[in-house]
Amino acid sequence: MGKNENLSYFLNEAKNIKTDDFEKKIRIAILGSSTINGYEETIRVKCHQKKIACRTYNSNYNQYNQEILKKDSKFYEFKPDITFLILDVRHVLGELFFIPYSLSELEKREFIKNKVTEITNLIKTITNHSKSHVIFSDLQIPTYSPYGINEQKQEFGLKQIVKNINEKIKIEIKNEDLAYILDFNEFIQKYGEENIFNYKQYFSGDMKISIEFIPKFIDELMKFVNALTGSTKKCIVLDLDNTLWGGVVGEDGFDKIKLGDDPIGKSFVEFQKRLLALNQRGIILAINSKNNFDDAIKVINEHPNMILRKENFSSMKINWNDKVSNLREISKELNIGIDSLVFFDDDQMNREFVRNQLSDVLVVDLPTDSSIYPKILTEMNVFESIKITDEDLKRRDMYSQQQKRNEFKNEVGDFNEFLKKMNIEIKIKKANNFSISRISQLTLKTNQFNLTTKRYKEKEIEIFSKDENKIVECVEVKDKFGDNGITGAYIVEKKENEWIIDTFLLSCRIIGRGIEDSMLEQIIEKARKQNIKIIKGKFIPTQKNKPAENFYENFGFSLEQDFWVFNTDNTINKPEHIKVIKNE
Amino acid sequence: MSEKLYQIISKVFNVESSKINDETSPENLEEWDSFNFYVLLDELENEFNIKFDLDETLEIKKVGDFKEIFERHRIND
Repeated sequence: MGKNENLSYFLNEAKNIKTDDFEKKIRIAILGSSTINGYEETIRVKCHQKKIACRTYNSNYNQYNQEILKKDSKFYEFKPDITFLILDVRHVLGELFFIPYSLSELEKREFIKNKVTEITNLIKTITNHSKSHVIFSDLQIPTYSPYGINEQKQEFGLKQIVKNINEKIKIEIKNEDLAYILDFNEFIQKYGEENIFNYKQYFSGDMKISIEFIPKFIDELMKFVNALTGSTKKCIVLDLDNTLWGGVVGEDGFDKIKLGDDPIGKSFVEFQKRLLALNQRGIILAINSKNNFDDAIKVINEHPNMILRKENFSSMKINWNDKVSNLREISKELNIGIDSLVFFDDDQMNREFVRNQLSDVLVVDLPTDSSIYPKILTEMNVFESIKITDEDLKRRDMYSQQQKRNEFKNEVGDFNEFLKKMNIEIKIKKANNFSISRISQLTLKTNQFNLTTKRYKEKEIEIFSKDENKIVECVEVKDKFGDNGITGAYIVEKKENEWIIDTFLLSCRIIGRGIEDSMLEQIIEKARKQNIKIIKGKFIPTQKNKPAENFYENFGFSLEQDFWVFNTDNTINKPEHIKVIKNE
Repeated sequence: MSEKLYQIISKVFNVESSKINDETSPENLEEWDSFNFYVLLDELENEFNIKFDLDETLEIKKVGDFKEIFERHRIND
């Protein structure tokens, strides 16, 4: 990548994609009012780079209306998971784009109302007639008005018309679970209208976005694709010297490192503030630094301009071990996959070493100029999540509780004794409006303790939860150190004589404490009540779910052909240290 | 100049540069379609640091036509 980011690279690379047998799959439809050539090729390549198998569908030029309104169109036949609706403000406004003052106040209001209805209808028609998420790229606010400096004095200037349409569409679809807005004006702000809009290309081929900036625009679409496929990162691992502050604390000393007062120091402070904001919305931070522990921790605890403090870091590896071993340790300690880590280090040797040894870690190429650090962080689109759930916001606390649990475990010594003293309490809850998005998120993100690794979107969980022949339940876990929130879920398919466990998963943070057994026991108890003798489940191996491999066998299931089978007449060993609350 | 021009054309159209000469046109090169022609124009503008006028872009019917435009823009390297 890097130099090869122009459109011709993507057009050619798209032809070379052969194998795309990836676990993550997505079907993307792009509907546009302008020419959208080059979009699908670029998105296919970008998905391929992220190991997402991608199929694409393009509407014919300016045919989006018919394709959306006709229920038997090729578009619906394609069954997209995600649909991008990209309308050009010129097409939406028509003549009004050029001569906005030909209409009276009243007519303008009427016009706005009609356009909002028209567009929200399109969006809602898609969500009603398919399972697709719909991403509407909002209308570009013009930078020119024939009224000039008097534009702002008009009740309804040209810009106001467009802003009103955008604002009203936003309100209309706010509560539509599957509909999102792509902030196109933010994209224009970032790169500038003069760069993005090219008159020659517009007149030649009705291109809304100049050829040079199509790959950048696709990055905006990728944010949604990443979030929807669960291809997001959970943890930022940071070096210290010349990464979180300027200089080397071991050599320059506590007073001489650059943090805060001079131009270089300011760039590190801003970088830390950006990191803090991500931390507060649920991205975990960790340290991986070759340093004397005492020197480094003194800065973290006592430096007056330090923004990130000890409590912001869920794991701190400040030692003389190599960076790869430390990253492995961090992944183990936090119980998250190596591929959930992003690594920031100013030292190129370290970066190359990590890249070579741990190809799944996203290694960020930090430039020598620290003033660019904040920009690099804010332009990474790997932390997107389709919904910010309560668990995301609480995650930071949860990891610090986790540290306390580990300390307590070492204190108690005996593991069984530790479990008893933890006062674990689990609540089993039927899926409802509050938990559906979290259950979907768990199916998308859980890799380790996940028996079948079936990925379900919110809409699908919602449909399952209304299905009489399915049980969709989640588990909320609490212990003496705090609330883990909803961290487990299962989906059971009820057949006449047997039940089949379709999905069974538990966040890796809490495995190995008997919670998984309690969950399975709930299913078995339910089955007994309804006189079901047979419960079956599959273990579908992936590269990551080894921790769940022996779960059914250890519980007492026996393997019959493809299924692990349990007869509900058999006795089960209840984990006595867990208090179960049923909340149905 | 020819060599660099052929190189860029071969890269954008994804064909070997030996297949490209001044007579190459949409009629004899199937990889040359209306959209990647615009992609080519864009790359040439960036590579040679020039801007084609809209009417110039409409004049181009074969590779040789680029050279004429370049001469007009005094690009000879």
